[in-house]
Amino acid sequence: MFLQQLVTGISVGGIYALLATGYSLIYSLLDFSNWAHGEFAMVSAYIAIVLSSFMGMPFVLAAVGGMAGGALVSFLCERFAYRRIRRNGAPNMFLMIAAMGLSNVFQQAANLIFSGQYRSYPFKLPVSTIKVASAYIGVLDLVSLAITAVIITILVYLINKTQFGLNVRAIACNAHAAKVLGVKVDRCIATVFVLAGALAGVAGVLYGMKYNVFPTMGNVGLKAFIASVIGGLGSVPGAIVGAIILGVIETFVSAFISSSLRDFFSFALLIVLLLVKPSGLFGVDVQDKA
Amino acid sequence: MKKIFSLLLTLTMVLSLAACGGNSSTPSTPGEDGTQSDAANSDTIKIGYVSDLTGATALWGTAGQYGAELAIKQVNENGGVLDGKMLELVPMDGKGEPADSVSAFKNLVEVHNIVAEIGTNFSSCNIPMASVADEVKVPIIGTAASNELVTVDENGKLHPYSFRMCFIDSYLGTVIGNYAYDTLGSRNAALFTVAGNTNSESVGQFLRDAFTAKGGTIVADEQCQDGDVDFRAQLANIGAKNPDIVFVIMNDYAKNATFAKQAREMGIDCMLMGHDGWDSAQLAGEAEGALENCLYVSRIGFSTPEAKAFGEEVAKAYNITMEGECLFGHDGVMWLVDAINRAGSADPEAIRDALEQTDVFEGLIGTLVMDPATHNPSMACAVYECHGDSFEFKEIIEAQ
Repeated sequence: MFLQQLVTGISVGGIYALLATGYSLIYSLLDFSNWAHGEFAMVSAYIAIVLSSFMGMPFVLAAVGGMAGGALVSFLCERFAYRRIRRNGAPNMFLMIAAMGLSNVFQQAANLIFSGQYRSYPFKLPVSTIKVASAYIGVLDLVSLAITAVIITILVYLINKTQFGLNVRAIACNAHAAKVLGVKVDRCIATVFVLAGALAGVAGVLYGMKYNVFPTMGNVGLKAFIASVIGGLGSVPGAIVGAIILGVIETFVSAFISSSLRDFFSFALLIVLLLVKPSGLFGVDVQDKA
Repeated sequence: MKKIFSLLLTLTMVLSLAACGGNSSTPSTPGEDGTQSDAANSDTIKIGYVSDLTGATALWGTAGQYGAELAIKQVNENGGVLDGKMLELVPMDGKGEPADSVSAFKNLVEVHNIVAEIGTNFSSCNIPMASVADEVKVPIIGTAASNELVTVDENGKLHPYSFRMCFIDSYLGTVIGNYAYDTLGSRNAALFTVAGNTNSESVGQFLRDAFTAKGGTIVADEQCQDGDVDFRAQLANIGAKNPDIVFVIMNDYAKNATFAKQAREMGIDCMLMGHDGWDSAQLAGEAEGALENCLYVSRIGFSTPEAKAFGEEVAKAYNITMEGECLFGHDGVMWLVDAINRAGSADPEAIRDALEQTDVFEGLIGTLVMDPATHNPSMACAVYECHGDSFEFKEIIEAQ
């Protein structure tokens, strides 16, 4: 039983991880919480629904289309909302407020266009599981964990071993200095948003495949936020670890204590962590950089 | 330049705020001179309809609305009520939320001057609406709202203006528990309910009581939260106890389907049994075989030829799939027509008295035997079994 709950927890955490990674990327770059991140996932899921159910595209293409849609929406938000606010030199609080506003707009738009009805993809993965020891692992879970692992490996490589990654880390450290040194800051930030949007897109489509697609599914973005804080805001590997930890804790609390206390435990953990180690598990103790 | 722009923007925001303060009206209202007319208006009698016209369960609310509209159309074509007065339906979106439903009802009473109201289908909405109905003295008829407190408050006092057209949770829970023990021979059951959901917890409680009173054991009692989509933590617990039946008391067909699929994934092969929250044309398809041979107990629905014919008529006229809720809409109207004709007036208080004094009302949903002390009707139920892509009528459980 313990093993089964662990497996379930990791699979739940896997989806959180995809979202948390994109969320953490944006945070590390721009130092603000993109509350609309969960909604990017939701929009991608709906785009995939439109492409597959209403336009009859084969599912794999629709999924890729959804992901591309998420990336596009993310890019557009950055281009037309966040960039203006950044350029005006406004405090990061304004970016957060804009993100909250966008999140609400997307949710309401989805509600108006698609209604609150739960939808699912026409692609039916047979309900198949593999039994390992005493635990059942869904095939879809394995697939999504594999996809998550691959994507995150690519991302970590990108951040640490490429020029682009160097630029991103430079901007995260000091945007003005980076600009002076010739880094194309705006373009770099736009690319990061595209990446984060694509990650959210994959998360959204996988979430929709596992459960259902509905306008408020973006609220899972809150879990991404908690995961990022647990792992250390600004650290991408930290976000992943934080997400898995969160998924496991939530599952264990639901199973062995009570599902009503699940959210209580998640948020209590968040508060305790903020009190004891605000930089999270992997975060660097960063004061204002001199 | 910037100042003028900011000023214009502020003005636009203020104006749009004022504009949305208006009403939360619904997508389709065939209203004539809708908002301004008097209750005592000569030739049109307005009946309100509040339900979940938008949201996750909108297919129920809209089906009820269409059923009511079609019934009114038929009544009007046959000469209306009380010497030729026409009926008009005024629908308003309650979104399946208590606060929104109460304000929709108030709006209908204060602005549209309705004489009676049909809906909602949720106990959580009708419980607060009942007190408001008593205050404004306009009768309301809940369609599928089955919690005790809809018609009788916590102190046992009747809400004189609140009625319903369905059996209550205690009745349904008991019927399911008895059926599982007696007919299915189940002895070890798992119970799964939604924490904080009035209907789920209420039916679950009576089910548990009935099943254990007969001698059965509840081996696992799990709950989920309202927004949950992943039930595997609870399912692992349930699976470990090896029940021979799992009672799944959830009200959303997509969630019920997800639950079933996840249960099968976790190796839980036993019977799953549900209540009227399973009553949807989409459930079997969504479950993709995970609910094969599973049962639920609900209203008789389309199992009679007349009900089926009406359901098909609504489906054709409004281009929707057949949903049982349309029968409630129809019967709500017909019961009110019956009450108005017996009362000889369209006065809300007179309608209320006539409703309470109903002995037996025969509707498409079946025979309704009224209890004037509690306003709770006794009704026969039906058991449905899943085969392939749909649930089929299996048998009737007589009124108990």
